[in-house]
Amino acid sequence: MPTLSDLGPLALDLGLLGALLLVFAVDLVLPHGRKRVLGLLTAALLTALFAASFTTSTAGSAFGGAYVGSEWALLFKRIALAAGALATLGALDHVDRHFPTRQGEFFLLLLFSLLGMTLLPGARDLLLLVVCFELMGIPLAMLASFAKADDTTGTHRHAAEAGLKLYLVSAVSTAITLFGLSYVYGLTGSTRIATIAAAPVTPLLGLGMMFTVAGMAFKIGAVPFHMWVPDTYQGAPVPFVAFLSVAPKATGLAAIGLLLSVAFREQRGPLLGVMLFFVVASVVAGSLLALPQRDVRRLLAYSGIAQIGYMLMGFAAGTVRGTAMLLFYVAGYAATNLGAFLVLEAVTPGRPGPTLEDLRGLSRRSPWLALALLVFLLSLAGIPFVVGFWAKLSVFLAAYQAGLGWLVLFGALMAIVSLWYYLQVAKAAYLDDPPPEERAPPPAVGAPLALAIWICLALVVGMGAYPRPFLESAATAAQSLAGH
Amino acid sequence: MPFLESHLLGVIVAAPFLAALALLFVSPTRPGAIRAISLVGALVSLAGSVHVALGYDLARGGLQRAERYPLVPSLGIDLSLAVDGWSVSLLLLTGVIIVTGVLASWTLTDRPRDFFVLLLVLVAGVFGVFVCQDLFVFFLFYEIAVLPMYLLIGIWGSRGKVPAAGPFAFVWRRFDVGGREYAAMKLTLMLLVGSAAILVVILALYSAAGGSTFDLQALARARFPRELQLWAFPLLWLGFGSLAGVFPFHTWSPDGHAAAPTAVSMLHAGVLMKLGAFGVIRVGMLLLPEGASYWAPTVGGVAVINVLYGAICALTQRDLKYVIAYSSVSHMGVVMLGAATLTVDGWNGAIYQMFAHGMMTGLFFALVGLVYDRAHTRWVPSMGGFARQMPWVASFFVLAGLSSLGLPGLAGFVAEFLVFLGAWQSQHYVWALAGVLGAWVTAVYVLRVGRDIFFGEGPRSDEIHHLTDARRSEWGALWVLGACLVVFGSYPRLILDFIHVATLEYLPRAAGAASALLEASR
Repeated sequence: MPTLSDLGPLALDLGLLGALLLVFAVDLVLPHGRKRVLGLLTAALLTALFAASFTTSTAGSAFGGAYVGSEWALLFKRIALAAGALATLGALDHVDRHFPTRQGEFFLLLLFSLLGMTLLPGARDLLLLVVCFELMGIPLAMLASFAKADDTTGTHRHAAEAGLKLYLVSAVSTAITLFGLSYVYGLTGSTRIATIAAAPVTPLLGLGMMFTVAGMAFKIGAVPFHMWVPDTYQGAPVPFVAFLSVAPKATGLAAIGLLLSVAFREQRGPLLGVMLFFVVASVVAGSLLALPQRDVRRLLAYSGIAQIGYMLMGFAAGTVRGTAMLLFYVAGYAATNLGAFLVLEAVTPGRPGPTLEDLRGLSRRSPWLALALLVFLLSLAGIPFVVGFWAKLSVFLAAYQAGLGWLVLFGALMAIVSLWYYLQVAKAAYLDDPPPEERAPPPAVGAPLALAIWICLALVVGMGAYPRPFLESAATAAQSLAGH
Repeated sequence: MPFLESHLLGVIVAAPFLAALALLFVSPTRPGAIRAISLVGALVSLAGSVHVALGYDLARGGLQRAERYPLVPSLGIDLSLAVDGWSVSLLLLTGVIIVTGVLASWTLTDRPRDFFVLLLVLVAGVFGVFVCQDLFVFFLFYEIAVLPMYLLIGIWGSRGKVPAAGPFAFVWRRFDVGGREYAAMKLTLMLLVGSAAILVVILALYSAAGGSTFDLQALARARFPRELQLWAFPLLWLGFGSLAGVFPFHTWSPDGHAAAPTAVSMLHAGVLMKLGAFGVIRVGMLLLPEGASYWAPTVGGVAVINVLYGAICALTQRDLKYVIAYSSVSHMGVVMLGAATLTVDGWNGAIYQMFAHGMMTGLFFALVGLVYDRAHTRWVPSMGGFARQMPWVASFFVLAGLSSLGLPGLAGFVAEFLVFLGAWQSQHYVWALAGVLGAWVTAVYVLRVGRDIFFGEGPRSDEIHHLTDARRSEWGALWVLGACLVVFGSYPRLILDFIHVATLEYLPRAAGAASALLEASR
């Protein structure tokens, strides 16, 4: 007979559910014109939950072992909650200005998606895993096409495309995952991860695993499953893209980590080969396809594909240390990429996202925004003293120690290719003269958005200057996963 | 002040950085305050360097003034600082160059705050490299010293007159060769390719030594397996060598130095290229002695190409900055040549050449900046007879030129003499011969450029009445650098003693491996 105390590991997720219901209820009673409160409420609740994650104990299992709370799950919860809170702050003004009557829907969908994200890393049953994935994915597709004709940014023309592509890819990848899981279930007779891990290896089971992991790779946008990424980034509201570019990727990696390190631990040899393929393909394609981009959102989309390749290096290493380094990479990348997209939102509010031309002379118009952008770009490129450097270095170190020296050299050289296009953005902001019509003072940045950018900047610089506690908590989290 | 005394190296590295940080909070419309803060930051580092040099115990030698701050203990990364004789001399060089560089940039008007912030961050990285005893932090500082160049050249650079000609003229037009953005991008990407190679070797050494420490002394005791040394050394040589201008990875250097603003050229040619050579010796030759002795003939052979090819290129240039830039490529070849000899005199000469060439090329670029500032051209054929308007500039140019071609009594002579002596002792007679030949070609182009600019009747001699000689702060820069050339040239022991102590300590490792290799081949 389950009791309330059995739900202890789910305390944060239940809190999130409560927050969701609260926002829903408040949305019903708020008059039009006061809907801005919803965003503030969402941000405050997410921040409170994030803070609570440091005081609440979530260890233990629930639902008869289908859900296991651990350091691993907790770390992903924190990343998701922090990303959600920052994205909400960044989206406040955008949503208030462009979708004044639909603010409740926006934040509710965001919260639904977050609920899927916080639950997934603790799942120890494949059914729960897939349900969480869908809970995360479907609201994202709706948010991607959120801009309608009432939108003034001009992005609504691309919005349908953005949402539809994300949705179709999501559906197809779920189908592939389920197809693979049907083999796994058929051969092992269980959806429990622990049972599958103990099952004898057969070629057919390997095939099923391959399909399962391929379906996951769709979600994180690894090459060759990356086609949706740039178009979705271009059509969706920019603050939402900030969220989309980090949180679902982290969750997708959590799912792959679960499969690789727990469910398929005994049979993962061929899967590591698949990971290696994803690494090389994503890094090469992402870096090269970003080179000709003029729209900064598309450029960052391709750069994100390359970044996924670097992160997967941690899995390709196949060691606990590799997983730990990947976690650190994910956390650093989340702060960096969120910040970068929020700067884009701050630079061109009320217009389709910036091209390189729009950024020209930014350092003279708004020096702080330009500096923030520069720091984020350097972090993405992996330059010392910001978090991106430690992130790249740590996955390289893990890969080298796993005997993949050639991969490290390859990664380091491709990082320099990517530096070229990051510098194109920095060049526009710092070296080029502003176009004559843009000599006007810069657009005022709203306080919530500015706050979100500052927090990202502090995280990127702080984690770069003193990475030790973050590296250590990543190591504990990876260890806790390996222990199960 | 005991705190200052026990953390002096940290203070030297931190002072420019803190000054840069302080500048962020100064209004950009107050250039006076900006310059003053920058100068204070630079002077603190210089004073600290001088104090370190005076306090260095020559009789004891070895590493002194050790400081250690844990950074990432789980990976064995410490910010550990200490000086040996080599570091002392290179600290002095950096201190002098940054102070004179700030003085030479006194009249900069375009966004001075951002300029000085980047310049000071860069120089903090340089100081860090020279005193750092942890391989990983060494690499971090190395990157800090390289990266600000992109913005420094890209924003404040100038474009030279590089006429598109020859079968590849279309490439020149397409990529705007000679433009500052081209130069900045080329420099950054080429140097970072080198960094990628270095990073791989660092990870390899770290793992091979047990994966618990990056400490240079501990790594030097680790005795890496021979095959690791054989593949790792060339990667390090090319990685660090790309910054030292090793042929054929030198091509960023003429473009970069020509496009860079005065103080940046001074710092880059004067100090930064030395970081590359220092890295080859400090990391490559000391940690991988077997690899170094195996590859030494190649390193020396390529260095000979550097010396001759750089000199010949300088001979054919008509843009004043390109002449000096190619002369740097040639002189950095002398450094690598000295390192490759694996002899006491050769290594002494290599480090001394870093010091001497830093002072000399710093003076050169300061003068070129002055001339360009007044005449608004770097095109040698359009200049002439400037000595009448700017006699002091002309005098200092001749002084730097004479040091460059190795006139006895000036710093350049001491260094080149030692290097050629080392080459002779290591029985690579061809190297010595080629080196002397390079010095002769240097004499040709330096004297010719000096004559064309300052003496004789130039084509624009009627237009040069507005030219003025050096002014207040510029005076300071010229005198300090010129005096250093004369003082350290006529009494080299001032610096050589420091260098010699460190060389005597370090060389046996590399040379021991060399003789072991010789035994094995018999």
